[in-house]
Amino acid sequence: MKMVALAYGFIWLAVFGYVFIVSRRLGRLNGEMDELRRRIDRLKT
Amino acid sequence: MPTRTTSPRFLALTVLTAALFVIACNAIADAPREITMGLVQKIFYFHVPCAWLLMLSTLVCAGGSVAYLFGGSERGDRVAVSASELGVVFGLCVLVSGPLWAKAAWGVYWQWEARLTSSLLLWLMLVAYVLARRYGGASARRLAAALALFAAIDIPLVYFSVRFFRSIHPSNTVVSTLGPGMRGAFWLSLLAFTALWWVLFSARLATENTYARLVDLEILLDQAEEKKS
Repeated sequence: MKMVALAYGFIWLAVFGYVFIVSRRLGRLNGEMDELRRRIDRLKT
Repeated sequence: MPTRTTSPRFLALTVLTAALFVIACNAIADAPREITMGLVQKIFYFHVPCAWLLMLSTLVCAGGSVAYLFGGSERGDRVAVSASELGVVFGLCVLVSGPLWAKAAWGVYWQWEARLTSSLLLWLMLVAYVLARRYGGASARRLAAALALFAAIDIPLVYFSVRFFRSIHPSNTVVSTLGPGMRGAFWLSLLAFTALWWVLFSARLATENTYARLVDLEILLDQAEEKKS
């Protein structure tokens, strides 16, 4: 039972860990996108 | 700017994947216990799909690398980067879940036999690819792409190793020997994991595509600001 729990637990941990990393990257990209929008607005005015 | 991760199709696929995992986990729980190994055999339902995704990721990474190396395709390069990371994640899952099963089946976590060693080698090549892309700068792109092709050559070695070498690892035909209750659970799990791979790959590729567009826009903006000043 311990081995099965460890194996399944590790796989879920790895998958959710990766989802967390990708979502953080997306968050950072959105931040950069906002900065780009601000620069475009400044250029327009 | 909408990305593929916010599209209705992506959300539908995510919901479908979650539903598939609920069904697959129920099927795994209901599947009969294997007579000799008992409960620990259930590691198989997650271990084999992870091994399949390690190979799929490597193949997609190699395909993208071929498009980049020989066709100059930037999209191919982005596909390769996205797939390589998934290969590292699912490869790690294989290399952890396998030894946990092995400890119960063989009495040891690791044996330096052909299947295990070639799988470890494949995973290390993908790790090398990811590290080269992350820290090697622009000049490492072609080197990493060549490394991906080298990794793809290892796939037949991993798959056929149990046939060509003396190996204690279960053979590739083990799926066909499963009982009806076990076989259904296995295929459902494989389907759920493949759908998960597609969701993660789409999300990762969307970040790569967005980043590439962002870099292009920044260059254009720099030029426009220079002109204005």
